[in-house]
Amino acid sequence: MYSGDVLKRLRYRYLPGHLIGEILTKRWIDNAIPFLTLIIVSAVFGMLIPGFFSANALGDLGRQFAEFGLIVLGLTIVMISGGIDLSVASVFTLSVLLSLIGVNIEGWPVLLTAAMVLAVGAACGAINGYLVGYLRLRAFLTTLVTLIIFRSIYDIVFLKMSTAIIASSSDSDLWAYIGNGSVLGAPASLIVTVVIAIAWHVVLSRMRPGWRLTAVGGARRSAYNAGIKVRRTVFLAYVWSSLLSALAGFMFAARIGSTGADTGVGLEVSALTAAVLGGNSLGGGRGSVAKAVMGALLVLIISDGLTNFGVSGPINSTVLGCVLILAVFVDMRWLRNRDKWLSKVYVSPAYLALPPLPSAYNAASPYALNNKLRSVEIIGLGQIEGPEDVILDRDDNLYCGTRLGDIVRFFGPDHQRHEVFAHIGGHPLGMAFDRVGNLLVCIGGMGLYAVAPDKTVTKLTDETNRSLFSVVDDSRLRLADDVDVAPDGRVYFSEATVRYEQEEWATDALESRGNGRMICYDPRTGATRTIIHKIVFANGVCMSKDGCSFFFAESWTCSIKRYYFDGPKRGSVEPLIANLPGYPDNINRASDGNYWAALLGMRTPALDLALTMPEFRRRMARRVAPELWLYPNINTGCVIKFDENGRILESLWDLGGENHPMITSMREHKGYLYLGGVSNNRIGRYKIDGADPTWTAQDDYWGKPS
Amino acid sequence: MGKAVVIAVFRRAYAAFRGFDDETGSVPMMDGPLRPNALLDAMPVVLTLPDVDNLSAWRDGLMCSSGREAFRLVRSKDSLAIAERHVFEGPVSCLAAERGGGLAVGLDGQGVIVVEGPHAGRKISEVGGQPLSCPTAALFDGPDRLVIANGAASVTTADWKRDLMEHGASGAVWDVDLARAEAAPALLAGGLAFPSGLALAPNGGLFVSEAWRHQIVRIEGRIVDAPPRALVRDLPGYPGRISPRRAGGFWLAMFAPRNQLVEFVLREHEYRRRMIDNIDPAYWIAPALSSGASFLEPIQGGARKKLNRLKPWSPSWSYGLVARCDAAMRPIASFHSRADGRVHGVTSCCELEGAFYAAAKGSGIVVAMDIAGAEGETPA
Repeated sequence: MYSGDVLKRLRYRYLPGHLIGEILTKRWIDNAIPFLTLIIVSAVFGMLIPGFFSANALGDLGRQFAEFGLIVLGLTIVMISGGIDLSVASVFTLSVLLSLIGVNIEGWPVLLTAAMVLAVGAACGAINGYLVGYLRLRAFLTTLVTLIIFRSIYDIVFLKMSTAIIASSSDSDLWAYIGNGSVLGAPASLIVTVVIAIAWHVVLSRMRPGWRLTAVGGARRSAYNAGIKVRRTVFLAYVWSSLLSALAGFMFAARIGSTGADTGVGLEVSALTAAVLGGNSLGGGRGSVAKAVMGALLVLIISDGLTNFGVSGPINSTVLGCVLILAVFVDMRWLRNRDKWLSKVYVSPAYLALPPLPSAYNAASPYALNNKLRSVEIIGLGQIEGPEDVILDRDDNLYCGTRLGDIVRFFGPDHQRHEVFAHIGGHPLGMAFDRVGNLLVCIGGMGLYAVAPDKTVTKLTDETNRSLFSVVDDSRLRLADDVDVAPDGRVYFSEATVRYEQEEWATDALESRGNGRMICYDPRTGATRTIIHKIVFANGVCMSKDGCSFFFAESWTCSIKRYYFDGPKRGSVEPLIANLPGYPDNINRASDGNYWAALLGMRTPALDLALTMPEFRRRMARRVAPELWLYPNINTGCVIKFDENGRILESLWDLGGENHPMITSMREHKGYLYLGGVSNNRIGRYKIDGADPTWTAQDDYWGKPS
Repeated sequence: MGKAVVIAVFRRAYAAFRGFDDETGSVPMMDGPLRPNALLDAMPVVLTLPDVDNLSAWRDGLMCSSGREAFRLVRSKDSLAIAERHVFEGPVSCLAAERGGGLAVGLDGQGVIVVEGPHAGRKISEVGGQPLSCPTAALFDGPDRLVIANGAASVTTADWKRDLMEHGASGAVWDVDLARAEAAPALLAGGLAFPSGLALAPNGGLFVSEAWRHQIVRIEGRIVDAPPRALVRDLPGYPGRISPRRAGGFWLAMFAPRNQLVEFVLREHEYRRRMIDNIDPAYWIAPALSSGASFLEPIQGGARKKLNRLKPWSPSWSYGLVARCDAAMRPIASFHSRADGRVHGVTSCCELEGAFYAAAKGSGIVVAMDIAGAEGETPA
């Protein structure tokens, strides 16, 4: 133990560094930068400008936001669909003019005017949508042209009507209420916008039209191939954008009651700035209502603040332009680097000090080296790939999983012929027979499955209860590993790690943190619950013969533990074997009342040392390619036998791993030991001297068939 | 000079902060003339001798060393047979043979003694006031001049891994005038990172393998005349002994491969210190002459056996690599024994009577190839 290691151990126990990586995987992390900026900008202006947070100022901000937010929301919708709508400002201005003409000059009912304005807005959007969506014109140029056209119409009409607009006014209460009324202190128009925003949030994040919109923006071709009506989706996005702008114009007209030559000039730039500043991607496919809202607030606060300081309009626009460029830059960097940063910080090794390595070179040790496994018979050479676990039924048929997603059955007693017993799709790992002969199997990436003797496949469970304080939803089973059945029928199985997929198990070894868990599935209720947390790579499970406890292997700590699910010690975990020379995998019963355990690989002094130096491993993960990382030495494996009290009785080796480079499981059956290995292309069969030639695990678990 | 050092320090600090490797931390690809093949494995084994080391053509046959012994080998049909055996007081770390009959033997931790020829009995056990403890290579330049490479000031050749892991740069090349008994060895070049091979350059001067800097340097004369100049840099292995080819040019044995993880560990000072203090050197994260013998050796991800096979391109601590170089020590072709090969840790090569011999110390064998007709051709 080195000085400083105590501190290091405490730091790694109590500061969960892996959470940084997990937080980065959350989708909402995109909002972090705009959100922080919003808080900082609000705080700065709040301090510099007296009365910035007064009710009056906030109310004013709310009304401005009601209109501006709608425009930004519309633009965001178009941006999510992969386009851009520059004409929002022109549609807005046109709507202001139409509303004033309708209500103030012609004296039409307010609601009728609103309907008319919205209809005109929708029509403008339909023009954009038809040109961009159906005729496939470029969004940028098309909406630039319609921006000019709509603006020109405004200019022509405004010129003729300007005197009338200035002279006229309306005495409609509703009109005044929309413009300046409040509900419980909140501006009426703000309420309208908030309702629309929430509705759109639900649509975008929870409903099919929103998902389709995102799909079209994210990958147009894939969306088309998936059967989404791409053109109509794009068309509708533009219609909605203009509709929302038109509504904003209507509310603006109600509030201000007049319009001028410069109304809405440069508004499209502000809206675009807001949308991008909030984190909506210009490339499409990435955006949300929350981002639009934050962006709109940011732009409003900045421009209002600058106006408060007496900064003139053109300079204000210049500042916003600069902010837009900065936002585009940050957005680009974030988008490009997020996955890179994530991959760099996700792997977060922990501190793990293993006891001194027991010597296997000492002839008196129970681990004393031998070559007993060098001469095992080989079954199915080259016919199977990756038999992680093997199991035999009462009729001597041999079952194993393969990485092709099959469960292969070799017919007894000679195991020369084989068939695909069941195809499930994922790599089958641990297996066990229940009382009636169903084959329960853990499948990496899928969960716990059962195969009946008639070959029907049933999914038993693929999720458990979510951990209380987990950042990432860990309810789905990622790497169900080994399984065994209690006398009462409850199924206990291990999940090796919740942070990595099966192919990345070595990265979990690099972390050596308690990422695994033990889970119980109760077939009587169908419920699945996690019973033990924070296991450092939960691996093999085997029922003890006492009927109220099971053994489980904790691979990276090189230990085997015992859990009591019944009896006086119910719910407690006891260490059984603490310091193995290798990494334990599956555990199974032996005919003499003891237990077999496979060591999938051997400890090496260099890795043991690295386990006490998490920073070293973290840097290694960042700098060195995974193929060159320091790994557990899985090129040599061995089988050990231990008794109920954890005493090691004997060990079986194949030095140099010539016949069986790695051993992940072994199963005793009628005097032979059958060996499986997750990266092997064969099954081994070893004759056990003096073993009971009639013993089968089925009889031992469930009694002889009557 | 000072400014460059400061800039290098800052660049390294920035690289450490950003997490990328600067040029000193990356391993060059084996490509071009060093493209991997299995030619060493294809050569027949002509002698099996544990720890076989320095091969040298002497008189009408070959000399080789192994442990405390040196053997004279003669050709017999398709193999080599031991004709004579000499036993020394310590492990033999190098041999130097002279056309006229001189033979010098380096003894690990003790120095170099001349055992045959006009100066037989001469012993060089001190250089520059320090014991000559790490004679990695020696070379006769005419009957009266012996050039000796002292790999490191304070470790023995057997302890070479330690010198690498401690960033050793205390090696030197010494010039001994055998004709004058009282003459002190003269320093040709100092501050070398494990000089491990010597050869006479075609037009004067010396080629020296500088193992830990993965380069071949050229020494023009005395250190005062000109400092060593790097000729070939960024080799993908650690260069060792050099022997001349009859047709011009040289054979260069690279005794171990470079490895990205080793380069990484070389920058991890705390880990390296603990590893050196606590772990048997055989189980270090370090290059080796042979590997895979014990399950206590660390392995890398790519070296896992899949479907019971070790892939030839797996990362490995040991390797077999001989480069055929031109007269300026530039590699022009190479012979390999990859991760799954059986000719690992080639520490020396030698040409004799139209045949090429390579001694693989790691695997304890000598392999041979007929080069009488194939000379000049590039191996496929």
